[in-house]
Amino acid sequence: MKKIICYLLVVMLVLPLVGCNKGEKSDFDPIAEFGSDELYVYNWGEYIGENTIDEFERRYNVTVHYKTFDSNEEMYTTLLGGDSYDIIVPSDYMVERLIKENMIQKLDISLITNIDNIADNLDSPNYDPDHSYSIPYFQGTVGIVYDTTKVDPQEVEEKGWDILFDSKYAGQVYMYDADRDNFMPAMKALGFSLNTNDPNEIQQCYDLLMKQRKEVNPGYVTDEVNDDMINGLKALAVVYSGAASYIISENEDMAYCEPYQGTNIWSDAMCIPSNAKNVKLAHAWINFNLEKEVAIDNSLYVGYTSGNKLALEELSNGEFKDISSYKIRTGYPLDEEYHDDESLKKTLGELWTHVKAGN
Amino acid sequence: MNKVKSFFSKSYVWLIMLFFYLPIFYVMLFSFNESKSLTRFTGFSLQWYKKMFETRTIREAIYYTIIIAVLATIISTIIGTLTAIGLSKSKKVLREVVLQVNDLPMMNPDIVTAIGFMLLFTSLSIEKGFGTILLAHIVFCIPYVILTVMPRLRQLDDNLAEAALDLGATPFQALTKVIIPQLKSSIVAGALIAFTMSFDDFVISFFTSGPAVNTVAIYVYSSIKRINPTINALSTIIVLIVTIVLVLMNVVPMIKNRKKEEGFEK
Amino acid sequence: MCWPYIGWLLAFVVAPMILILLYAFTKQGNSVLMLNFTLENFAKFFSDSIFPAVLWRSLKIAFMTTVVCLLLGYPAAYFIAKMDEKKQAFFILLITLPMWINMLIRTYAWKGILSFTDMSSQIKVMIGMVYNFLPFMILQIHASLSKLDKNLIVAANDLGANNVQTFLRVVLPLSIPGIISGITLVFLPAVSSFFIPKLLGGGEYVLIGNLIENYFISVGDWNYGSAISLIMAMVIIISMYFTKKADKKVGGEE
Repeated sequence: MKKIICYLLVVMLVLPLVGCNKGEKSDFDPIAEFGSDELYVYNWGEYIGENTIDEFERRYNVTVHYKTFDSNEEMYTTLLGGDSYDIIVPSDYMVERLIKENMIQKLDISLITNIDNIADNLDSPNYDPDHSYSIPYFQGTVGIVYDTTKVDPQEVEEKGWDILFDSKYAGQVYMYDADRDNFMPAMKALGFSLNTNDPNEIQQCYDLLMKQRKEVNPGYVTDEVNDDMINGLKALAVVYSGAASYIISENEDMAYCEPYQGTNIWSDAMCIPSNAKNVKLAHAWINFNLEKEVAIDNSLYVGYTSGNKLALEELSNGEFKDISSYKIRTGYPLDEEYHDDESLKKTLGELWTHVKAGN
Repeated sequence: MNKVKSFFSKSYVWLIMLFFYLPIFYVMLFSFNESKSLTRFTGFSLQWYKKMFETRTIREAIYYTIIIAVLATIISTIIGTLTAIGLSKSKKVLREVVLQVNDLPMMNPDIVTAIGFMLLFTSLSIEKGFGTILLAHIVFCIPYVILTVMPRLRQLDDNLAEAALDLGATPFQALTKVIIPQLKSSIVAGALIAFTMSFDDFVISFFTSGPAVNTVAIYVYSSIKRINPTINALSTIIVLIVTIVLVLMNVVPMIKNRKKEEGFEK
Repeated sequence: MCWPYIGWLLAFVVAPMILILLYAFTKQGNSVLMLNFTLENFAKFFSDSIFPAVLWRSLKIAFMTTVVCLLLGYPAAYFIAKMDEKKQAFFILLITLPMWINMLIRTYAWKGILSFTDMSSQIKVMIGMVYNFLPFMILQIHASLSKLDKNLIVAANDLGANNVQTFLRVVLPLSIPGIISGITLVFLPAVSSFFIPKLLGGGEYVLIGNLIENYFISVGDWNYGSAISLIMAMVIIISMYFTKKADKKVGGEE
């Protein structure tokens, strides 16, 4: 028994070391150029191209420590705990909050020579109009993925969000399991702004979601539902456009609709925390990710719509030509970004907990 | 009658094993999947194995996971066993109180323990990294060891240790030669549980590991929404290695024995 | 010999818990502790019918999981303990092996397997929990059974006890400490588990662990999250107290 365990441990400790590193590094001297040769990157899970990190390390002769998170709030909590990263990738409303709380620092734009590559529609985002704190990375909308063999496309286009609350589709609906993302369809279906903090309007949305829970019995899920939609388990699901691209590419019967009542249009952006230790190298990382080839590599692997106009142009006419959800709707007046509003988020969070725990 | 009984008990045990291994087979199957999907098999491919060996982030995560699990298991098993022995000899009130506090890390949701640790480290301005995650793992593993070793201690005969002492053994000898051998199976069980706990934990790891340390559980959890079968490939390799070692350990002695017997016959 | 550990407990278990306690009894303010003591968080919990209901649901499913684990696990541990020593080691390793695969992956696999069936969320969550915790129960009971003095059984048989009597009067009482440990090991983590219900329950099956996680992370209200977990801890401590009392009655020792 002892022997067995010893053998096992030896084998398992050796195993990770066997891997083949595609060696050959450049002559670049990172210490002279950036003052450091290590970079701590904190990004969403599965949100980067397969070669991006290797490429960056090779070009600049540095080591990238890459760690992932699952939600803006998780990331925010670890930042509160004092962890020091050089690059983080929060979403729009979180960027706004981090700026307010002085948790991210101003960028040195002179070091970001590729800044003109930012997609046109993200030229001046509400959360950071002149990009003094953040550089867009990916973007998207939230919409409905539906099974064309079960639901008539015309009906989805006509009804928009209302179709999710129709008891005709009881047991056939997936809602998105996150406070604001779950309230958003209800807000838009009722014609409110998704940043409304009018208690009366919020109450109406809550009532609608409770009614939906009783009558439609939806599943509350996040992206782990992608597989279920690919397998055609249910007819309708609220998903992010990037997830829709993946679902549609795996199952031709699926289609994506951005409801006419308007939706949430979002973007995730690269930022440098205030307590970052390798600031110069962090700028190099941002600039690197703005390069056309890198952005293409990232977007190809992740499947989300690039925040880079060169990559966007090439991919939407190439690889993702037939995937309607890759070309997101921009400039539609009813589409909105989330604004940072802590009390609204808290209210919705509590109500949302009630909806989920209800019955 | 006995045969029927033994057949029944054996099939029962194997049925339980089937239950344990059903998802494992499932995991292994999808490590060979051609597409990213974890529920729909589209074709055979080895790409996830390739990816696993090529991605440094994953290799690093595997490395840290194992090192942390092994160290946490060894340290918590030693501390836990000694504490349990100590507790069994101490006053009842003290024992009850300590055991009650000992239950806390098991009872608290991981997120509470995690935030508690984070607050502790932050308020002491300790920078988070390998040391803090290891410490956290040891803290939540020890209770499992104590809980596992305690019941066996209650079954033990106190007189044996005393007899050893009377016969001139030092307390250390009494401990290592008399008490611990009798506790062996429960210490092993405790160590196994501690290992699993350390191996599986992600919430506490997430908040205590700092920017430089990554573990498999953190990696899996943060990409579970868009997960791909790389981790299945890793799991398959682990199962394979363990199985091979198991077979070797069971078959090699058998062959040796047979050779010996043959030798005698000659 | 246990004093160093008591110091350790104070530093790494009690100290963080006191911080959590402070949050439970104070109001809003995540980064700075403003010592404004209040019972508001607790009042909120009990004034809202949903939260006690979720707590009750969690206790119920944890209890059911524990019972099923005990019923499935005891025979398995018993049969294994009766085998010869080599086979015992083999089976114990066989039980342990799946635990070398990350729990998240195994749960994800169950999600895949169960997605083709039409079970209720509750059943799915229970399967996931039983699967995850059963090995602990078997290991605990096996550890206490394997070292049972075989002479006791022989003696009981010699004295005219039949198998059932021997089991009920000799084997079972002696394995009670293992059972209690097993119950503790299954019940405690089951009450507060959050990943299994999150993944297998399809989001509409909320347990107290999800609630607490939700308040800590998404809502960002550490005060209320701390209060809920404190209430949960109290309820569990009380229920464990009764379990241990029952143990003493049945076990008859001390």
